[in-house]
Amino acid sequence: MKPWIAAGSIAGAIIVGTQGQQVSPIVNPPVRIVGLEAQDTHAAASLLGQFRTSISGFLYLRSDLYVHGGVEMRPMTKDEERRGKQDAKQAHDEEVKLDGDEPIVTVVPSEREDFRGIFGDVEREVASYKPMEGHHHESPTKALPLFSLMTWADPQFIDGWTSGAQIILWENKRESTDVAVSFLQRGLDQNPESIDILSEIAYCYLRGSTLPGAPGRQYEKALPLLERAKKIGFNNLKALSQKEFESLEENCRRLSICYRELHKFEEMKANAEDGLRIFGDDASFRTALADATKALGIQTKQKI
Amino acid sequence: MKFTSYKPLARSVLLESLRRKDLWVVAILGFLIILCAGTLGFFGFDGLEIFAKDLAVTVLGLFSTIIAILTSCRLIPDEIKNRTLYPLLARPITRFDLLVGKLMGAVIVTWISFLLLCALTTVALTIFHVQPTLLMAQYVFAKMIGLVVVCALSMTLSIYLTPNAAATMAFILAFGTPMIVRGLVMSATSVGPVGKFIYSVVNGVLPQVQLFDIGGRAVYPNWAPVPLWVIGFLIAYGLTYSIAMLLAGWLKFRKQAI
Repeated sequence: MKPWIAAGSIAGAIIVGTQGQQVSPIVNPPVRIVGLEAQDTHAAASLLGQFRTSISGFLYLRSDLYVHGGVEMRPMTKDEERRGKQDAKQAHDEEVKLDGDEPIVTVVPSEREDFRGIFGDVEREVASYKPMEGHHHESPTKALPLFSLMTWADPQFIDGWTSGAQIILWENKRESTDVAVSFLQRGLDQNPESIDILSEIAYCYLRGSTLPGAPGRQYEKALPLLERAKKIGFNNLKALSQKEFESLEENCRRLSICYRELHKFEEMKANAEDGLRIFGDDASFRTALADATKALGIQTKQKI
Repeated sequence: MKFTSYKPLARSVLLESLRRKDLWVVAILGFLIILCAGTLGFFGFDGLEIFAKDLAVTVLGLFSTIIAILTSCRLIPDEIKNRTLYPLLARPITRFDLLVGKLMGAVIVTWISFLLLCALTTVALTIFHVQPTLLMAQYVFAKMIGLVVVCALSMTLSIYLTPNAAATMAFILAFGTPMIVRGLVMSATSVGPVGKFIYSVVNGVLPQVQLFDIGGRAVYPNWAPVPLWVIGFLIAYGLTYSIAMLLAGWLKFRKQAI
């Protein structure tokens, strides 16, 4: 190879590399689409980005195996539902619901549903299988290192940050709120425009704790975060995914509560009006509007 | 059957593998495993023992199966292509003996590679302070039997198909069978007795490689060791299926014009 070709190639690579920031708004848009399809919709996403998303998606799914003690679960098919197959409901005495609303069953079938005879019996002995009707979950904190790993591998994986924070809160220790906020703050540094992360930090403050010595509900701290999330969401309404839109709606509901608790009724009224305008006729916004109007009326009378 | 001829045949497969530097590939893969584990350890992720074990059994299962298929698929076609089959068959051995000897060689190469990877993975797991357990030993043993099935299947396919087609089919069967079986089980409840019989036949023909994977139990805590009758069944099934494959290969190979 001629030296000038090599030199030209290296120079070209350096120039392209220094212009990498210009691609950032495409690869990492102001409002990210959350979930496993995060980068699938962007043709401009780099191969590395795709790989990282796959790794984080893989780890996210792995965390489900952790809470089920290695027992692989799958959603029940429509046909199975129709035939009245019993799903693996979680135990009634569990306070926190870790599985979704979808009915799930074990991947390895029970003896009753298996036509394979001895092969099925052997698989139930070698695979991590146990009957899961009314099953209990392992402590999700076991999966927490996975969330650290997946957010390290793909800092733009919003679900990793928010679910990881939920698991930290699940521990319900005195310092849980601070640890969760610190974890989410790292996520916010990587995704400053994420509605989900802002809402989740606000939720950490609003959730409070009944443990002695732990801070209660901190409306003052939650308020600026909720307002910032609302502003970002309203400025990007058309770009929001369904999940982000729902997150924004929840964010506005929490904002109403914050304004009410902090006696900011003008803002509460405006927020309720925004909510009704954007999210349609919603009972919570109607109630918030009525409460704010009534409170403002009382305040006006008191001033007079 | 001449048992004395199996040893030199198997030895020739091993020497050929060493000459082709296959074990170097294994060593490089093992080095990558340790490097990945070391990287995770370097970044200070605590509590990743389960994940490290999960990754280890996944990597071991994947690489050992690839090595088994690639080693077994080329044995007979290479002998024919390089014309080294003629001096072999000029000796007082039958074609069946040749197949058995070659299969034994492929199994030994695969086992050496697998055990080498296991040793390197064990080093990687010590970074995460993972202690060896009885289930892990059972995992290694069951996997070794499973690799015999994969080798026998791949070698038989290479007699019926071209080497590339045989390797492709072997990969599909080795990695796709668990998925196909899962599909059969899911749909079996909605078919009649005849359908179930057909499903049973299909299930019986497919190599049940997933039965030799105890990785799920070895990875997650609080699982009891696999009962001895299951290990016994795995040995019996592995041998039966491998012999059946060997016979199926011999049926074609004994009359094959070379």
